[in-house]
Amino acid sequence: MTKRKPIEWTKLDNAAKIFPPTSNEKDTKVFRFVCDMKEDIDLPILQEAVDKTMLLFPFYRTVLRKGVFWYYFESTDLMPIVQEENKLPCSMLYHPNRKNLLFQVTYYKTRINLEVFHSLTDGTGALGFLKTLLYYYITIKHKDDFKDKLPVLDYDASLSQKMDDSFLKHYTDTKLPKRIKITKAYQIPGRRSIDNRIKVIEGAMSVKKVLELSHRYDTTLTIYLTAVFIKSIYMEMSARSRKYPVVLSVPVNLRAYFPSVTARNFFSTINIKYDFTSSSAKLEDIIIEVKESFERELTQEKVTANMNRLLALEQNAIMRLVPLTIKDMILRVADRINDKGITTTLSNIGKVTISPELAPYINMFNCFTSARRPQIAICSFQDKLMVSFTSPYKETDIQKNFFRHLTNEKIDVTISTNIKEI
Amino acid sequence: MIKCIHCNVAIKGDHLVCPLCAGILEDKGKEEDVFPHIPTIYQEFNLFIRILILVSIVAVVISFAINMIFTKESRWAFLVAAGVICMWISLFFIIRKKSNIPKTILWQVGIISILSVIWDLSMGWIGWSIDYVIPSVCVLAMIVMAVGAKILKIGVRDLIIYIFIDAIFGFIPLIFILFGWLSVTFPTVICVAASIISLSILILFQGDNMKQELDKRMHI
Repeated sequence: MTKRKPIEWTKLDNAAKIFPPTSNEKDTKVFRFVCDMKEDIDLPILQEAVDKTMLLFPFYRTVLRKGVFWYYFESTDLMPIVQEENKLPCSMLYHPNRKNLLFQVTYYKTRINLEVFHSLTDGTGALGFLKTLLYYYITIKHKDDFKDKLPVLDYDASLSQKMDDSFLKHYTDTKLPKRIKITKAYQIPGRRSIDNRIKVIEGAMSVKKVLELSHRYDTTLTIYLTAVFIKSIYMEMSARSRKYPVVLSVPVNLRAYFPSVTARNFFSTINIKYDFTSSSAKLEDIIIEVKESFERELTQEKVTANMNRLLALEQNAIMRLVPLTIKDMILRVADRINDKGITTTLSNIGKVTISPELAPYINMFNCFTSARRPQIAICSFQDKLMVSFTSPYKETDIQKNFFRHLTNEKIDVTISTNIKEI
Repeated sequence: MIKCIHCNVAIKGDHLVCPLCAGILEDKGKEEDVFPHIPTIYQEFNLFIRILILVSIVAVVISFAINMIFTKESRWAFLVAAGVICMWISLFFIIRKKSNIPKTILWQVGIISILSVIWDLSMGWIGWSIDYVIPSVCVLAMIVMAVGAKILKIGVRDLIIYIFIDAIFGFIPLIFILFGWLSVTFPTVICVAASIISLSILILFQGDNMKQELDKRMHI
């Protein structure tokens, strides 16, 4: 007789549901966290650290499968195997009908890369995993330095807290949303490469310098960089396309609005819109309007309302009874319509912190995502600010405008990229 | 570190031109790359599939040509074309679901059943599709799944749902008997008997697993 092992499975959270049907080779919905260490990576130690980390994140040991009405995560015996980076950044991790883990740890020289399929978790969740991994890696690698006292891991969450579906927990019943009108946003044109590879351009700079610069404009770092990004897009817009507004979709970490330490998805998005027909293209004006948009959108009420709207759709009885194949088609169409309404995405991971005992071994953290269009991600660690562009296009004009703007303001920028040929 | 004088940025790694503006860089010694170099991946159709497509096209075209030149009175070339199309429908689902073997087998049961009925209907109903084809593919699928799972070491949990659906499907020919549509009954009788036996085995020995598996796959 076969062993009777209970089948463990979990439902996907609200945000996770959109990713399986809409991921493909062109937009894999995979994002990557990078930790650059001060020494070259030691493979056996990294593997040991990953194995230990897995014990604390059993939820990540799952494969994504199709049911009749919904997708679900099924626990698996597969273990992550650390490899030297040998694939394109943010390659496909979820393949329909194939059973494999939804994340991957790779390394290259001094860098540890954690790549995650977005259904599994969001940036904050992945960062919790990466921090735990680093905790084990550093304390194993530098055993002697921690003889007397082990550092404290600064991610405090019980297993059930990590597994928590925070969307459902904080959902308050709302009526189904009325039809929302989507205004067409400016779409960045470009040529794709043959194998759909994304071009990653990371710019490293000093947090302090950029902060000083933004204070000169009487604003915050995020708002300043957002404004520069909008301006960089504007400079490449053709005169005819300027009638369309530039709309940035900005993911918001809902853990800041609701008490939650979940290691799964818990985010929502807001839109920052700038219309060049009614407003000027001067950086000062863009900054003022971006600031107002952020203040307007980032209120508890607006964020909650937005979250409840998406959950109301999911919880709707009729929607739930639609078979998965048809749901997939609906979601793909909805995603495409939604896409028309945004120009690009700006992900702000913010300041990454780690236990002070571990920090001396780390050079910097970075993050970027798979991209359907040129996108930007911002992340900082100590005084290292990383601004990463990912783009499926060969053109690099927006990136050039952005970094040239900063260097013109006397900021030292160091560029690294994964593509050599033009 | 190399520097682009136009963009005024420092560049890490070994580059000939600036990644931002494509301007020529001053060479100041080589540095280690930050990302590994990955050569361009050209996605191509599998060669076997391409040959198979060509063979199909040639076969259909030649039979139409021969049909039109030598045997104008009959239209047998359409049968060739239909046969080729059926093969491709079946093959399409095999390729698409190839990583899940029991699922592929179950899909084939459905596809072969439907296609055979269509063939039977379009060639003047004789009844061979429901007399022989449907009951025998059902039984064959049950045997293949049970034996194949042992050989390929597919877990019971991944299998039971498909055997379950196949066994349920195996009861459909019972309707044909009740309505008296069949001229030959023995394949159908064997099929229904096999279905009853495998369903009993499933419920008696894998009842818990079955229930969990159904809960999981059918959650709303």
